[in-house]
Amino acid sequence: MKLFEFQGKELFAGAGIPVPASRLVRISEPDGTGVPGGIEGVLARVQGASAELAREVPGLRNVVIKAQLDMGGRGKAGLIRVAPVNGTGPDGADSGATGAAGTVAREILDKGYTIPALLIEEAAQIGQELYLSISAEPGNACYVILASAEGGVDIEELARTRPEAIRRVQVDPFRGLQGHQSRGLAYDLGLTGPLVGQFARLVEQLWSVFTQYEAELAEINPVFVTDATGAPGLIAGDAKVIIDDNSLGRLNRAGHGQFQLTREQYDSDAAYESALEGIPYVQFDGDISLMCAGAGLTTTVFDLVNYEGGSVANYLEFGGPNYNKAQRAMELCLKNRSSVILIVTFGTIARADVMAEGVVTAIGNLKPDRPIVTCIRGTGEEEADRTLRTAGLEPLYDTEEAVRRAVALAASAREGVRS
Amino acid sequence: MSIYIDQTTPIIVQGITGKEGSFWTNHMIEMGATVVAGVTPGKEGELVRGVPVYHSVRRAQEALSSGAVGAHDPAAAPGSVTTPASVAAPGPARAAMLFVPPRFTKDAVYEALDAGITRIVTIADGIPLHDQIEIRAAARSMGAQVVGGNTSGVISPGKSMLGIFPYWIERVYRPGTIGVMTRSGSLTNEVTAMIVEKGFGVSTLIGVGGDPVPGTRFAEFLPAFEADPETEGVVIVGELGGTMEEEVAEAIAARLFTKPLVAFIGGRTAPKGKRMGHAGAIVTGSAGTVAAKTEALTAAGALVADRPSKVGEMLLSLIPAPRQVS
Repeated sequence: MKLFEFQGKELFAGAGIPVPASRLVRISEPDGTGVPGGIEGVLARVQGASAELAREVPGLRNVVIKAQLDMGGRGKAGLIRVAPVNGTGPDGADSGATGAAGTVAREILDKGYTIPALLIEEAAQIGQELYLSISAEPGNACYVILASAEGGVDIEELARTRPEAIRRVQVDPFRGLQGHQSRGLAYDLGLTGPLVGQFARLVEQLWSVFTQYEAELAEINPVFVTDATGAPGLIAGDAKVIIDDNSLGRLNRAGHGQFQLTREQYDSDAAYESALEGIPYVQFDGDISLMCAGAGLTTTVFDLVNYEGGSVANYLEFGGPNYNKAQRAMELCLKNRSSVILIVTFGTIARADVMAEGVVTAIGNLKPDRPIVTCIRGTGEEEADRTLRTAGLEPLYDTEEAVRRAVALAASAREGVRS
Repeated sequence: MSIYIDQTTPIIVQGITGKEGSFWTNHMIEMGATVVAGVTPGKEGELVRGVPVYHSVRRAQEALSSGAVGAHDPAAAPGSVTTPASVAAPGPARAAMLFVPPRFTKDAVYEALDAGITRIVTIADGIPLHDQIEIRAAARSMGAQVVGGNTSGVISPGKSMLGIFPYWIERVYRPGTIGVMTRSGSLTNEVTAMIVEKGFGVSTLIGVGGDPVPGTRFAEFLPAFEADPETEGVVIVGELGGTMEEEVAEAIAARLFTKPLVAFIGGRTAPKGKRMGHAGAIVTGSAGTVAAKTEALTAAGALVADRPSKVGEMLLSLIPAPRQVS
């Protein structure tokens, strides 16, 4: 579960990590419904939030308005913007400037992205920018901390062009993070004076977030080095936290009930509904709906459809514990504007006969308006064959043949639309 | 021969009295596995298809070591009582099969490790990442190999099985001389059917699992396949994400593995940054792409198929006359 920046910063603040003063302005509720007051209401609250921050932070000249959505490169896309505020500081900034925050927010919203909220933050006085992250290292069965004195850039790009600029420390899962490791990183980054201790503490605080919330990734990029008051300090400029989905139950039992699947984390209704059902689903915009069993097989069918010149409308797995959910799976496929449903399975516990029975029942109930190609194999496949044939379907047994059939049907559906 | 397990490996089943546990224990025995004991806390004294159940792995191992328990009698009907010591005592269990839910898996693995068991298979799908890291770290420090989670397990067709394979599907689970390692269950059926169609069979099939942190990685099984005289070549069913396929390429380049190797790698056209499929199958940046894996394996001298149907013919080009195993 990828947290939004504001959620990550809430965890950071709880661990003592310095974060900018901020206000959250919601555009939609977590369930996806719009907040009352519409866009004008949102803009008014953005202005109000900026004014509050101006009163709260002495000498504040600018706020940063940051769109909250799961997307890399928000800055380049114009979704993170600076706006001047009505300053209360010694420079006595223009009192009319609070209007600018609303204007900038409108420009962000006009970009056309689905944005559930805006985070309005004090703009830090930025000196240097650092990078810090913690993630798992599967091969060595440990965790790894990456840090760089060249933060604020794409870390993958930095790893490619200047790998020596990234320092790495492995943390043994049983020993945990040691003081010499966090201090060592601070020295390796070339930090001096009070920044050494501050950075070491930051590493320890991020480690506590990473372990307490069982994260796959906890990243601060950039860490701002500030010297607003003449004393250097560190502040988290961004927050990227991915919580392990397999730990959500444990975290919620431990009282961290904020980690619930909500509509705002998904890009379509079908994706959200399937997540609630535990059915893996990814939305695409092609014309073949995949309704397959097994992650590896579904991914391979996805490849084969592309090789054969077709395009995928949705990726959907109804194998494993979901093998009796054919009807639900087909409903999700039918939400798409696909022209074919392609069913490929080769299951063990996900029995072929049960899946075939489910498919036939679903067809009877849902009366799908598009052709269905089946390639259902595995335990009980003889009975599955009888079930499908009785229902008037023509079961196929070769995956690639089934894919070619689906691609041809999709192509002729397109022809039909054109003529 | 085979690797990891054969028909003589004494096996303990943790979670044996559950629905899955008893059902698949029965199938493991059907296939030839030597199941010597089961564990379910609170159920000591019960029998599952003649296999005695204990409260804990340690208690089972003590009983097995003292010779108080005989091997399972293959002729015993389900639910019947096996006379203790009616068959030569096999000694303590050397492999463990876990039918334990994800959140209890770490405890169950540690329980097996603490009882001296070094081959442990967990099929659980949904083991927390931080648990997986600890499981792998603990196993490595004790010289053990944990297989899984999120896998069908390990099978040496016709000999033994630690897992949940449809071994009765003959066009997939035919005994033979090809070692198979895979990150995916259903796709393995698909790929293995293609090599059986070309006259091959399987020596040992190991599902390392589809999670980001498999207990044991592809390359770590290569030395055993290299040493196994019955294995003529290896097929790897990989997918995008992670670095396990690249590690295989390194092992080949370092001459740690010298037998023919064919790989199929799924997810060539998968979108970057989206989690589609297994939790371990995700690409961020340029690492872990199918293109990069293909390049590494090809450079090391392996053959890489871009679709399952090509695996069989590629293998045939390297091993024109596979040895047949009865």
